Formats: sequence, C-alpha cells, structure tokens
Amino acid sequence: MSGVQKSRALRWLCTLAAFGALVVILFPVYAIIVGSFESTSTLFSGTFYWLPHEATLDNYRNVLGAGSANTAETVTGSQAGNVLTSLLVGLGTVVLALVVAVPAAYALSKYRLRVTVILVSALLVAQIVPAIVLATSLFIVFHWIHLVNSYPALILADGTYAIPFAILVLRAFFFSLPNELMYAARVDGASEWQTFRLIVIPLARSALITVAVFAFLAGWGDFIFALTILNGTGIQPVTLGIYNYLGNYSTDWGAVMAAATIAMVPAAVLLAMAQRYIASGLTAGSVKG
Amino acid sequence: MKKNRSGAAALRLSGRRKEQLAGWLFLAPAIAYLLFAFALPIVYNVMLSFERTSPETIAQFRAPWAGLDNYRAVFDDPTSRSAIVHTFVFTAGSLFFQFIIGFALALLFSLRFPGRALARSLVVVPWLLPLIVTGVMFRFLFQAEGGAVNQVLTSLGIVDSPTQWLNEPRLAFWTILVANIWLGVPFFTLLLFSALQDVPVEVKEAAIIDGAGPWQRLRLVIVPIILPVIQVTLLLGFVFTVKVFDLVIGLTGGGPANATQLITTWSYNLSFQVFSFGQGAALNNVLLVLALICAPMYLWLSRGSLRRSRGAEG
Repeated sequence: MSGVQKSRALRWLCTLAAFGALVVILFPVYAIIVGSFESTSTLFSGTFYWLPHEATLDNYRNVLGAGSANTAETVTGSQAGNVLTSLLVGLGTVVLALVVAVPAAYALSKYRLRVTVILVSALLVAQIVPAIVLATSLFIVFHWIHLVNSYPALILADGTYAIPFAILVLRAFFFSLPNELMYAARVDGASEWQTFRLIVIPLARSALITVAVFAFLAGWGDFIFALTILNGTGIQPVTLGIYNYLGNYSTDWGAVMAAATIAMVPAAVLLAMAQRYIASGLTAGSVKG
Repeated sequence: MKKNRSGAAALRLSGRRKEQLAGWLFLAPAIAYLLFAFALPIVYNVMLSFERTSPETIAQFRAPWAGLDNYRAVFDDPTSRSAIVHTFVFTAGSLFFQFIIGFALALLFSLRFPGRALARSLVVVPWLLPLIVTGVMFRFLFQAEGGAVNQVLTSLGIVDSPTQWLNEPRLAFWTILVANIWLGVPFFTLLLFSALQDVPVEVKEAAIIDGAGPWQRLRLVIVPIILPVIQVTLLLGFVFTVKVFDLVIGLTGGGPANATQLITTWSYNLSFQVFSFGQGAALNNVLLVLALICAPMYLWLSRGSLRRSRGAEG
C-alpha cells in the first residue's frame, strides 16, 4: 500500500469510527421518535421494533387531544395547551435574560466600576449553585408573596439558568468591540443610553441570538422549577406533562413518547437553523442545569 | 479648533461621573435579580435548615428555631446518608467515563476525515434536549420487556433472559450512570476539541521531528498545553453532575428501594413529598457546600477574565 492510499484508508477509518459514535449518541433519540409512532399494543408487546411497526398517529392524537389514555391516576390536560405554556415560558425567559443581561454585560466590560470584580465573581459562583437549593427556597418565597403557580414566578426562576451565563457570554463579546466606538459616539453628543441602544446593541446581534437560543432552551426544558413552583392545577409545561404520564405501576408509553418527541422539536429546529450560534454558545464554557 | 478640543476634554471629564452613574444604572436590574434569585434563596435556605418547619409554617415565612435538629435528622437517616454516597460515586463514575470518551472523540474530531463537520455538529444533540426527556428516553431503552438494550444483549447472546435493569438496585444505579455519561460526553468533546484546535501546529511538528511517538506527543506535549481547559472542563463537569435531578426522576424516580436516590432527588422528596422543608434545606446545604468547594478553584481558573475587569478601558 502506498502512503497516499494508506492515509486515505485511515481517513475513512476515522469516518467509520465517528459515525459509529454518532449511532450510539443518536440512537436513543431515534428510538423515542420511532416509539412515538407505535400503537399501544406494539409498545406493550415486549418486543422492540427497530423500524416503525404498524405506524400510527394515535399517540399524538391522544396527547394533543384529550390527554393520556392509559394512566388513570395521573390525569393531565392536553399537551397542545402545554406546548403553548412552554413556548410562553421559553420566550419569557429570553426576554428576562436579555433585559437583565445585556446592559449588565455592557457595564461590566466597558465601564470602569469598582463592583466589577465582585459581580463577575458572583456570576461565576452563581453558575455553580444547584437548582434544587434555589427551588426549595423560591417555592416558599413565591408562596409568601402569592406568586406560586404563575408565569412570572416560573420565568423568574428559569432566569437562574440563563442570566449568569448570558452576562458572561455577552461580556466576553463586548470586550471585542473597540472602545473608540463609544468614545466617538460620546464626542458626537450621544448619551450613554443612546450609545448603548444605537451603537452597541446593533453590533451585538449575533451574541444576542446565541444568548436568546440558550435562554429559550433553558426555559423550554426546565423541569425542576415547574415541578416545585407550579402546584399542578393551573399552568403546566410539556416537561411536567411528560412526568405526569409516568405512572407508578404502568407507564403510558405511547403518550410519553409522543410528548417527549414534541419536547425535542425546539432543539431540533434550533440545531438546524441556528447551528452557528449553538456552537459558539456551547464553547463559551457554558454549563447547563 | 482650540475651543473644540478643550470642549472634548471637558466632556470627557464630566463624563467620568456620568459614566459611573450610567454604569450603575446598567447594572441595577442584574444586581436586583442576583439578590432576589440567588442571594435571598441561599440565605433563606440556611435559615430554613435551622427551623422547625411544617406545612402550616410555609405561609408564614418564618418557623420556630430548631437548632441542629434538621442536620441531626438528615445524618441519622440512612437514605440521606446513602444519597450522599450515591452522589459521590455517581459523580466520580460520570466524570471518569465522560472524560475518557469525550477526550477520545475530541482527538478523533481533530483529525481530518470525510463527514467531520456533520459528525461534529450532531454530537451536541444530547446536550440540547430537556433533561426529563433524556430520563424517560433511557427508561424506555432499559425496560426489561421491550427495551432496546435487552433486545441487543439477547440477540448477541450475551444474556439469555431479560435483565431487570430498573428493578434491581445495583443495575438501576448503572442505568443512571450510563444515561448521565451519554448526556455529558458532548460537553467534554466540544470543550476539549476546541482546546486541541488551539495547540500550535509548530509545536506538534517539532515533537514529530524530535521523534516522539503518538502516545508521547499526547502525554508530553498536548496534554500539558491544554491542561487549563481540562481542569475547567472537569470542574464544570463536577458541578454539573452533583446537581443532576431531572434525569434521575425521569429514569428511575430514585428507586428501586432508593438505590438511585441522589442528594438532589432525596432533598426534593424531603421538602416536597413529606413537606419537611427544614430537613430538605439541611440536605441542600450539604449539596451547596459540595458544589461550592469548586468555587475558589473556578475563580482561580477564570482569573484571566476577572483580571480583565480591572484593565477594561484602562
């Protein structure tokens, strides 16, 4: 074998290894999508089918219509309403994260303030705090101020995933903007707010999209705050809907699969449409959860 | 001309104070948010852990003083103790395998081969899914009857009767470990991959000229260069793993017989199932201490970004 042939063979070997790894990584996702199209009798037949066996849309009809078919003890509403709830929570988290994080990140990178080191340290530490610690206290705090079971409570709580990350990522981005830009605007008579609003924000578009994508996924995918801060009678996001299909003794697998597939849609859409922003957000040293 | 210049200087001078004011105004929402959503809950959690709480006291915000009773109760409770042990084993096991697999994949992706870009963009999928979805996903795969894992094992002849993955305590622990490794590998792959990209080509070439084999190059040249990233990645991986909650709730619910109960899931159980918020808060503080052990090291590893704060606009 010549050297060229050998290196070509080696490259294809790498491709093979990489796609082998991808099969393992993507198979669980595939299995749940296939499962969502199986009939209840297939799901309880004791055999796993690698390809859809007697494909049906019944599971989707059930979860988007009246609710779970099998699990009597956990009556849940339609997932169609839950999808709307999750969308609102996700978008609410985006708005909150942007309103809080963008000006803060700007101040922490472009202004000389004594508080900067302390605040940036606090943000780094905030990323470490486990959500269950916050959830236990926030539940009682929200109870106390009569905010339990409301959108504002859930969005405020979900902000804990998104805001420290958003400030740190945006701050790193603002460092890359030349200071002369701000000086020029000031000399031209722009106020601090005008400089921020008219010069800085338009230039930060791509960083803002990255932050928005992650804030949305955090709000959409949150389970722990939904489980603790909502009492299960009013609003219910998709994640909580899935949990309620898991019975103690029997699980309505068709409903679980269909709802889980629906819950994966935003990640798929964003991965297809905003891949560039996802890649830059992930390598920004983010941590989820 | 002259007037113009002094005008600009005056603008900059008065700008100092204006700048301070504007800076604080820009920071105000973030400071208010951090106080409400982080400082208040952490302080309140400490208070709760010293209080005799009951479902009735929730509405009152304060409850009678209990001293160390909650901590005593938590450390006397065998389930809490085993949850702490489980958390350690789960974290150590996850990090070990996530790092090995993630590093191997990062090395693979830093080679040139057809389909590399596609493979790299798809490897992040597990990271983007809601964690509860990942939990139920693996619950489905690990079912004794009709689960894909058992089906593969039986068709390969490795086992001849379905394994009770989720019903046997020891095996159930493996399922949460496997699911979490699956979940964390993309994070390690991506961060280590981007670190490998930053290793200068000249350094690698020099090592080849000096006659270093692939293993020597990796151990003596590449690993020392990317060591800071390895440290940050392991640290964040640790922090991320001690707080895992949704995954376990979706996969095993902490069972069977509390075999997969972690600090997070047991704390949830204490607070929200049996409404003993004081004990839940005490266990939360154990978790918080465990997580915050990393804080000084994290701040030290992030010192570049912190030092920059002082130099900004300097």
